Amino acid sequence: MLTLRYKAETPIPVEVEGLTPSAVRTMPLAEIERFEIFHGNRKRPLAEFFDVSGDPSDARLEFEGSLSGVHWIGAQMSEGEVHIRGDAGRHVGSEMTGGTIHVHGNASDWVGGEMHGGLIHVHGHAGHLVGSAYRGSRLGMTGGTILVDGSVGNEVGLTLRRGLVAIGGNCGDFVGANMIAGTVLVFGESGNRPAAGMRRGTVGLLGGHPPALLVTFRKTCVCKPPVLRLALAHLQSLNFLVPDDCWDADYGVYNGDRVTVGRGEILVRES
Amino acid sequence: MSSGFFKVAGGTVYDPVHGINGERRDIWIRDGKIVDAPPAPDVRPDKTIDASGLVVMPGGVDMHCHIAGPKVNSARKMRPEDKRKAEKVVRTAGTRSGTMGSVPSTFATGYKYAGMGYTTAFDAAIPPLAARHVHEEFEDTPCIDKGFFVLMGNNHFVMQSIQRKEPERLRSFIAWLLGAAKGYTPKIVNPGGVEVWKQLPSGNVHGLDENVEHFGVTARQIIEQVARAVEELRLPHSVHLHCNNLGMPGNWRTTLETMKTFGDSRGHLSHIQFHSYGGGDADETTFNSKAKELVEYVDAHPNLTVDVGQVLFGETTTMTADGPLGYYLSNAFKSKWFSSDTEMESGCGIAPIEYKNTSLVHSLQWAIGLEWYLLAKDPWRVVMSTDHPNGGSFLAYPQIIQLLMDRTYRHDMLKQVHPAVLERSTLGDLTREYSLYEICIITRSGPARILGLPNKGHLGPGADADITIYTPNDDKTKMFEMPRAVIKSGVLIVDQGEIREPLTGKLLYVAPEYDRGIESDVADWFEKYYSIRFRNYQVPLEYLHGAEEIPTT
Repeated sequence: MLTLRYKAETPIPVEVEGLTPSAVRTMPLAEIERFEIFHGNRKRPLAEFFDVSGDPSDARLEFEGSLSGVHWIGAQMSEGEVHIRGDAGRHVGSEMTGGTIHVHGNASDWVGGEMHGGLIHVHGHAGHLVGSAYRGSRLGMTGGTILVDGSVGNEVGLTLRRGLVAIGGNCGDFVGANMIAGTVLVFGESGNRPAAGMRRGTVGLLGGHPPALLVTFRKTCVCKPPVLRLALAHLQSLNFLVPDDCWDADYGVYNGDRVTVGRGEILVRES
Repeated sequence: MSSGFFKVAGGTVYDPVHGINGERRDIWIRDGKIVDAPPAPDVRPDKTIDASGLVVMPGGVDMHCHIAGPKVNSARKMRPEDKRKAEKVVRTAGTRSGTMGSVPSTFATGYKYAGMGYTTAFDAAIPPLAARHVHEEFEDTPCIDKGFFVLMGNNHFVMQSIQRKEPERLRSFIAWLLGAAKGYTPKIVNPGGVEVWKQLPSGNVHGLDENVEHFGVTARQIIEQVARAVEELRLPHSVHLHCNNLGMPGNWRTTLETMKTFGDSRGHLSHIQFHSYGGGDADETTFNSKAKELVEYVDAHPNLTVDVGQVLFGETTTMTADGPLGYYLSNAFKSKWFSSDTEMESGCGIAPIEYKNTSLVHSLQWAIGLEWYLLAKDPWRVVMSTDHPNGGSFLAYPQIIQLLMDRTYRHDMLKQVHPAVLERSTLGDLTREYSLYEICIITRSGPARILGLPNKGHLGPGADADITIYTPNDDKTKMFEMPRAVIKSGVLIVDQGEIREPLTGKLLYVAPEYDRGIESDVADWFEKYYSIRFRNYQVPLEYLHGAEEIPTT
């Protein structure tokens, strides 16, 4: 396990893309200390901002400290484990293809932006655009799993193409907007305009007090979707807390968004 | 004591204007111009580049690209994902940062053109309302000399003058407008079609003789009369035309009719590849090449010139003043779309697309561009372009050069495209290989001559000292991608791939004479219809930074 203890105090963003378990796995410590990261628009050696110790060969990185000003942690990683013992900045696990990231604190915006595989678990809150596409992209997240125990901001799963996103707390507006496929489950309350522009896929609003849905969603039935129980069991196996009252509840099924192909669904817990 | 001379010594020189085909020669430069060798043999140059064994050509001239103006900027803004994934242009001590992708930012555009040995580029389509902004952008597009063509084919005053049968009024207006914008020649895009698009849902013009509502004019009239006015004004470059029906199966008939419409007037038809399609009734399954028929006509009519508009496979962004075309493309490719109406003057459409070699249509488009180069008898009248970025990036020019010079490379690529290309075009039978001399013609000497630029595209005394030096390489893509050195206005601006001195470059414009009486007419028209005041519209010469007037002939 390689430990990286954050020791800097700077209002200027520190960006560590490229610093993945695979990248440093076979590097001697001295070389890791010289690893170039960005401080604003300047390239600086890692050791200027982190005390580095331990052994990277097991592809496990432990970040310690208050890293809300450190961004792109775990971006593009393909294997291994990253633990952040503290808060984390933006773009945690952006475009990752494999491996696991745990944030034992809060994370900022863009958790798992355009992710392709692997698992991210934020044990606190996260910001906007969890599991979402970057601006202009035709597709967003294409695989993997994002779990956030707390609450999040707007645009969760924007243009989601495949994958599973679960939010233990509340979410903001536009959850699942422009979704192409995949699943977003929100266990708390949701903001406005859920699933606007959805083509296919599933948004689950399991909090019990849903917002008004867009008029382009049509209620089709009330049922207990079997696939939802499978999803909840899967989440539980990943140590995500699933409230007891979700398992056997009745769910209204709303098809939409009929401004597009409209073969998606919003599941709204009714009991 | 400084002699003031700069010498490019002993290079293998190509200068088709003077019939020089790979001869070992020296080139002497002074005060930014190419000059005769000093008569006294003991005069030493202050600086010498030893070009022995290296290929020396005039700097490249791109006569049709889209690098500035409102549609280019809207395209830049709507492709963040394209830019995110692209090469990063990082700031250095002497150069500014920028972004790439299919629509590079201003500074990056200048550096990349220069890096490839191009020293002059003309933006093909600027609405005069946006001219002032274009001049600002050009100021930020370093290393190359620039100019632009002024959109007029859907201009209300132009159409009104034609409707009123007042050719003198039309001619004066065109001259006034060119001077107001500091542009280079009238550009006509889908004449009448863009106006109909602005008036009617999914509106367009589908033939030369369809009536444009309210103005009561036809595309044929617009083309004939603007072309004639340009001849009467003796502008250095002819009218520059994007024909009706771009991209439609069967459009070759419109193109042929349009070519006939010019009569004896000079005419330049842009991105002719997109206008060379057989087939019918908007049915893509009948799509085939009519390049051969059109090439024959152009060969037989020396008043006509074309640039090809080569398509290359991959993603790019289409941007065109042809508003309805932008709508069509965004529907065909199911991509995001921008459309705009420039009051009184024009419109535009922007849509990202991807050309795929598995597509029959795209493969044929690729083949038809190459057919034009390979079938044309007169390389002086068939100019290389990709209609950047519509067919592909200007950065792909070296690859086109290799496709033309290396038959094996071309046939290897042909094997990887849609097999129907072999039946529906003649490309499979064409064995011609371009020589360096001919490449020099289609990339510099020809376009300079067509543009009427007396000091570009050649290496004789009096020419601007815009010179590119290449290291010979059998891999022509590599050879033309990375010149050994680029000299602009007598200054070494690129050396082994690095920008040494990013000078600003000049703006080239025309200022034809006209009857000043037109101005009160135009001022009234502004007062009635424009949202901008007449006195704010014109770009005064003092506003420009480094400009050169190209005289009428």
